[in-house]
Amino acid sequence: MSDRTVDISEGVRGDAGTPIAHAAAADGASRRALAASIDDFFLDDAGRLDEQTRAALDRLLRALVETVEAAVRGHAVRLLRVQGEAALAQALAATPPPLGRLLQAGLLRDAALMAELIGRVRQELLAAQMPAQASDDPDRPSLLNRFVQHPDRLLAQGAMAVLVAESRRHGTPSAGPLSRTDLPAELHHRLVWWVAAALRDPSAGTALDRALADSAQRSLAAYDEGDRLEAAVMRLAVAIDASQDELAEHLGEALGDRRVTLFAGLLAHALGVGYAAARDITLEPDGARLWTALRALEFDRPAIARIGVALCEADPRRDVERFADELDTIMALDPAQAREAIGPLRLPADFRDAIAALEGRA
Amino acid sequence: MNAVDPHLPIAIGRIGRDGRLIDAEARLADLNTRAGGKRGEPLAVPPIASIARLAQRLGIAISRGVVAADGEDDLDLWVRAEPDDDGVRIEVSGWRPRTAWRATAPDALREADFLRAEADWLWETDAAMRITHLSIEAGVRHGFDAGAMLGQPVTLLFALEADDQGALPMLSAAAGQSRFDGQVAELRGTGTRVRLSASPRIDAQGRFAGFTGAATMLEPEPEATSGGAPSSDTGFTAEFGQRLDRALRSPLSRIIANADSISAQVDGPLRDDYAEYASDIASAGRHLLSLVDDLADLSAVEREDFVTEAEPIDLADLARRAAGLLAVRASEAQVTIDKPSADEALPVTGEFRRVLQILVNLIGNAVRYSPPGGMVWVRLERGHDAAGAALGIVIVADQGKGIAAEDQVKIFEKFGRVDPTEPGGSGLGLYIARRLARAMGGDITVDSAPGAGARFVLTLPARTER
Repeated sequence: MSDRTVDISEGVRGDAGTPIAHAAAADGASRRALAASIDDFFLDDAGRLDEQTRAALDRLLRALVETVEAAVRGHAVRLLRVQGEAALAQALAATPPPLGRLLQAGLLRDAALMAELIGRVRQELLAAQMPAQASDDPDRPSLLNRFVQHPDRLLAQGAMAVLVAESRRHGTPSAGPLSRTDLPAELHHRLVWWVAAALRDPSAGTALDRALADSAQRSLAAYDEGDRLEAAVMRLAVAIDASQDELAEHLGEALGDRRVTLFAGLLAHALGVGYAAARDITLEPDGARLWTALRALEFDRPAIARIGVALCEADPRRDVERFADELDTIMALDPAQAREAIGPLRLPADFRDAIAALEGRA
Repeated sequence: MNAVDPHLPIAIGRIGRDGRLIDAEARLADLNTRAGGKRGEPLAVPPIASIARLAQRLGIAISRGVVAADGEDDLDLWVRAEPDDDGVRIEVSGWRPRTAWRATAPDALREADFLRAEADWLWETDAAMRITHLSIEAGVRHGFDAGAMLGQPVTLLFALEADDQGALPMLSAAAGQSRFDGQVAELRGTGTRVRLSASPRIDAQGRFAGFTGAATMLEPEPEATSGGAPSSDTGFTAEFGQRLDRALRSPLSRIIANADSISAQVDGPLRDDYAEYASDIASAGRHLLSLVDDLADLSAVEREDFVTEAEPIDLADLARRAAGLLAVRASEAQVTIDKPSADEALPVTGEFRRVLQILVNLIGNAVRYSPPGGMVWVRLERGHDAAGAALGIVIVADQGKGIAAEDQVKIFEKFGRVDPTEPGGSGLGLYIARRLARAMGGDITVDSAPGAGARFVLTLPARTER
């Protein structure tokens, strides 16, 4: 019967002068809020994030910044202590978390960073919502587990590396720093310097900057993008180097095992494109580029139908009835034409970005 | 061709290329008839018909779990539709009636969240019981090589121990495609023991596709002679209390905060009835949160090694503070609290926050059971126990409906409530309060008669001032 929900708030705070200042500021804030609401209303639905993706993206972004922050700040504080700069070390330890400054400065609106993070979040949500698909033989292990047992050591080790990297990614805590950012090297690089800059105090002099720079460089030197899940998946896809028949089966099974990263890796290797390009066409709800890619690989109707149905089941943005309507049109696509259509994807990503920028589409 | 659970009856049917039912086994034919269809006409059970149509259009087999209405009931069905040259062959299994209400089908994300909340680390297997996911950090922490265990049979990592009935819960659950709980196992070769629980992943044909599971580390078994046995026979361990607290407190706080801000209409105007719903949600959330508090306290007070601090405290001061904390609630209920005056003092020995907790509980109850316009008296006295030791006494008296003599024992029992239909309260408050008072060398007693209000008396060992 106890009920200890008593009101213990401290009541109204502040002095008499503040309400006037507050009222003046509130007018500006209210105009900005209205502008944001108007922008929000007229946003194109096509690119909007649903709440689940938005929340997961927010969590990931925070976790990544915290991960880099913990490394850069921690080592810089130790360096300063060793150098006898106890006061600076203490001030650095007490600097507010850099996330706020980074957000305020708009640095995190970086297109390359956000493309990677949105892709990563969508890929994880898709995998989580993918319906399980058991094999007809209950004693047959899943695809990756079969490769782990493979006599070819390259395959077995490759599959093991994917399992380890995926377990590491999968076991992400709900808050707090990760064991590593798992970002592509350029993005990791960018994030480390941003965080270091956000931790500096312009009035503190060069000793602090020197310590932050040394700490950031140490963090960069220790980073190996070859340990990334995506890199491990690509190495495995190269080692498997599936024939066309095997590929259709592996892709279907990868989705049934809820291994979206493996699906994207196998697809990327088969198409000769980068991992990110294959992941992005896999995640596009409209699917046009994926169907074109599968036709370029000369997949037959049942194989494309199975992949299409699995993706529709896992992604609420897709519509299985519309996919069924389109299937005949997809199958009518000539493989040679399809290969031509996806040709640009094989070009280096930087080149494609530059072309898009030049044409004013970036 | 299929591995559908043999316990589930399968009914097979066939639909022509034009979507009309050619034939069906009894169970499916009956369902179709009850839905208003018959042989030679389009299938009348919409979810099955749409799967059959999709399979035909795509030219591949489609398997899905669906819910189909059968008269007043809903049935959970597994449907597999496989197209061929003559139309579509359908297999319908499952045939389990749905209970009147239940949450939507368990979704993998939510299951994982639940497991995460109660677990030290997580693991997953495929249908062949080989490990597909394992928390890598767990290996580092608990002395096994998580990397090397991936892809291996789950029994290579866990040496399963039989339960009281000599069964292995994990294997029984794999056979029956069900959840399991309480599978104790040793992390092979480390001497460390864990308790495992998991949910099966079932695919759209009702087949077992592996376990998604959690592991909780077990403390080493206490020596038989050490006397450090589990605290009580209730099965309500401190560990459980902590987990409950961790799992519930932050989601509840979030619910309350969000519901409060909806109800306060901070983000803009809202229809009044919605704002009221939100306020109902917030108060229900507060109620649950106070229950969590109670359960966390319960797990603390029931531990055998539970001790309170012996601090010099002033019972008069604490009574005034408790009355102050409840002033807002009392004025909302139009009840006046008559608290000890500022110049009174009553030195006793006890733990400050625990005594405050007891007094807030006693005065809070008195306010709750007082009629509008009523009065709650908080009085101080000095006295002696049977052995002659000096006692400090607080009396909390109200003008409520009183407590019948036969109920006066019940109110101090765990989950003991006189009128279970009455809203609010977990039935734990007085139980906890009395345990706390006794742990501090005092007690709580009650005297009351129906219609004559109630008097709760808290006694604590008096402290002689030097």
